[in-house]
Amino acid sequence: MPTYPKDVIADLIDGKLPWEQTKRIQSSFKDTDRFDTYVQVLQERVAWNERILLPIGEHLSIVQKGPDRIVKCDCGHEFGPYTENWKLAALLFVRDTEELLQELYPGSKACDPSLQEIREFICPGCGTLLEVEAVPPGYPVTFDFLPDLEGFYEQILGRPLPTGS
Amino acid sequence: MAVTTTTAAQLEAGPLKERLRAADRLFEETGHYSGIKELQLKSKDPLAYESFHTRLLSMVISARETSKKISASPGIREVGESVVALYTPDGDSVVLSTGIVIHVHTMSRTLKWMIEHDYEDDPGINPGDIFANNDPFVANVHPPDLMTLIPLHWEGELIGWAGAVCHEIETGGVVGGANMGTTAERFGNGLTVTAEKIGRDDTVNKDYWLRAEYNLRTPIYWILDTKSMISACLDVRERVGEIIAEYGLDYYKQATRELIEESRRGHLERMKIMTVPGRYRVPAISCHLMDGKPGASAVAHDVLLNAPLEIEIRTDGHMHVNLDGIGPQSWTPFNCALAATDGHLFVSLTQFMDYDGRVNDGAWYAVTFNIPTGSWANPDSPLVSIGGIWSVMMPVFGAWMRAMSRAFLARGFKEEVFLGMVTTPIFEGGGINQYGMRSGVQNLECAAQGSGARAIMDGIDNAYVGWNPESDMGNIEIWEQFLPILYLGRRIVRDHVGWGKQRSGTTMSSIWYMHNTPMWLVMSTIHSDLVFDNAGICGGYPAPTAKYTNTVSDSDLLERAQKQLPLPHVEGDPRDPDMKRLLGGTFDVEKGFYHRPLKTGDVWQFFYNTSGGYGDPIERDPELVRQDLDNGVQSIGMARVVNKVVARLDEESDVHIVDHEETEKLRVAERQGRKRRARPASEWVAEQRERIAGRDLAPRVLRMLGESFEMSEHWRREYVEFWGLDDDFAL
Repeated sequence: MPTYPKDVIADLIDGKLPWEQTKRIQSSFKDTDRFDTYVQVLQERVAWNERILLPIGEHLSIVQKGPDRIVKCDCGHEFGPYTENWKLAALLFVRDTEELLQELYPGSKACDPSLQEIREFICPGCGTLLEVEAVPPGYPVTFDFLPDLEGFYEQILGRPLPTGS
Repeated sequence: MAVTTTTAAQLEAGPLKERLRAADRLFEETGHYSGIKELQLKSKDPLAYESFHTRLLSMVISARETSKKISASPGIREVGESVVALYTPDGDSVVLSTGIVIHVHTMSRTLKWMIEHDYEDDPGINPGDIFANNDPFVANVHPPDLMTLIPLHWEGELIGWAGAVCHEIETGGVVGGANMGTTAERFGNGLTVTAEKIGRDDTVNKDYWLRAEYNLRTPIYWILDTKSMISACLDVRERVGEIIAEYGLDYYKQATRELIEESRRGHLERMKIMTVPGRYRVPAISCHLMDGKPGASAVAHDVLLNAPLEIEIRTDGHMHVNLDGIGPQSWTPFNCALAATDGHLFVSLTQFMDYDGRVNDGAWYAVTFNIPTGSWANPDSPLVSIGGIWSVMMPVFGAWMRAMSRAFLARGFKEEVFLGMVTTPIFEGGGINQYGMRSGVQNLECAAQGSGARAIMDGIDNAYVGWNPESDMGNIEIWEQFLPILYLGRRIVRDHVGWGKQRSGTTMSSIWYMHNTPMWLVMSTIHSDLVFDNAGICGGYPAPTAKYTNTVSDSDLLERAQKQLPLPHVEGDPRDPDMKRLLGGTFDVEKGFYHRPLKTGDVWQFFYNTSGGYGDPIERDPELVRQDLDNGVQSIGMARVVNKVVARLDEESDVHIVDHEETEKLRVAERQGRKRRARPASEWVAEQRERIAGRDLAPRVLRMLGESFEMSEHWRREYVEFWGLDDDFAL
């Protein structure tokens, strides 16, 4: 099975690897050590020390913080336990008027705000736009991903899920 | 573990119906397809096994490529809307060609339906028989997908089936074209063939051709497509005979089943390697206007559809697709038969992980579904209309793609993230064509839309569609031959993408002048009205897929052309479109479903779709923005608004130049600005609670939520719990 050095994975996830090489990676057998290399790259990029257990977005990861497992932004902002929806601890801006929707979708392109609103979930730390929902008013906030962390580590990676100590 | 009582021998002998039941039992008892615990032939001689598979695969691919040339339809010849496949005697797919891969399991279901309905006895399954089906409630995606199935025999024994599908661009429905977007029941869908034996001794019955001639506006498509499919199936039959002569019948029987078991295992392994187990939730929303629309059935009505898709991936690689909370079936075209729902899974899987050429029914045995009966994704009556099936199911599998993308991202396979699928607006139509003949044709140029973004690069520009990996928009000159239209433009639409760090692919619009026709009744299908039926992830925005169509009736286009005045070729400024600005006549914008008779002199503009973006748009590489400015994909104004990129056009060199310093300043300011104008989500939730408790939502939204409550008490309870409403809250 192939394995790729850290710098190759770093360039791959940043979209900087030449297309021919990217395509070869995509078309080859999957590198079984990808997860560990990926997490290593991401861990080296953050200024904080908590161990990344699982990346869950472009800037969000589940980390081990003491005895707890929480969602944390690259900037360091902490959202709370990963078993709860981090969006509810974020800042939210809702585009629910013609004017606000027309800013991004001018002319006839905009959706009808009575039937759909654009919800922008923003990191309170760095102001990065972390997620966007496009749902009817009154629709619950979606909890996008609840991982089976124990199952992933024990049965897929073949090692125990780290615990805080 | 249950005691195994069924044996593999029971798959090979006895009535077909009993063999089918034995196959199901064997899987249940052993957890392996056909009880195959060891891939013996593969282990014993892997090269022979691979060679065998390659022979089968190249057989169906070649059969399709050749048969396409027999068709008269641009849908087949230009766009490639067909597929050819090989099946086991009890109806499991072994190999499929490229093309409309959604049909992996639909033809399987059709074969099994025929077996369950005692076709072995009546009408019989004999060498030389030809069967056809396009009935979604036997098993199909929708009526335009016409199947042809022929049994394969070796020395009198049924050893399999060859199947082919062609997408018909005229079905004899209430409106010319293929997808009947105004019907409330199946009766408007056009020519329906319900698992019929249409021929014997390799000859189609004369009455079948007569039925096509009398019941279709343009019978030549259906007739030559049928001949095309039969030729493909006969080609497969002949080559299977050659392969059996070379490998032996026992090898053929065992290897075809091992290929399916291998695919099942391969799919499970890929799930374990590429994803993270857990629960993924990703709602899909679409909206379809019917109220007061000319030509819509009097009982059809507006619908706002909720599909709260949930996917559970287990540690053994098994995937459970759950549509609990989905809304009910309705008296509209916006329903989807069960075979089409699970068919969509296949077309999505083949793009996402099962793309090694091994695609067959193996994946079917690795997935389970909860698709509530009586919902719009699994109607409980064959009388409902499914004319708009693609409009409703594509958003659901676009959502599936977003969920799988999150799984890949978490696992580290960021290069596999792909926000692909979205609806594909199509213009159907019929009337009097430019040759003075009654005709009906569907224009399938939507086959080359933009795709959703990838995480490491932009989406595919104008070369993607969810239902056919071989996207081809067809030559303009060919569409002009079949339709009374002249193209004024087929161009990329500026500022019409899913915004993100990586944007979606570009999309296009076409502007047509109606030419030499007194009447051509046009209908738009496969789109959403008033809402965006897609989304981005990780900060990416949805693409603007709320349908709108610009028309200038009774235009003065020809006079202007003679005076060499500017003509509209693109949208221009969406606030003041070129069509309105440059043409005399009556301009209007139709929001939503378009259904009107057009005639010579009318000019109209039709927009296609793309899907969501990935990542925060103000993280986009300014050089990519600059390239989009040069290529007309984005305007300077929207580059500043969306990506906070400051750029100008250098008149001398005719390229755009980015001011990186100002760009960085704007981006820093935007991050601060976002925090100032936003507020804590928890505060917003508390405020919304009051609003929802007071039912202060649009009537269509209240209806949508109420319908989901009725379909699922579990969904209602979760809803109530989330918003902190009274336990007995109802709508």
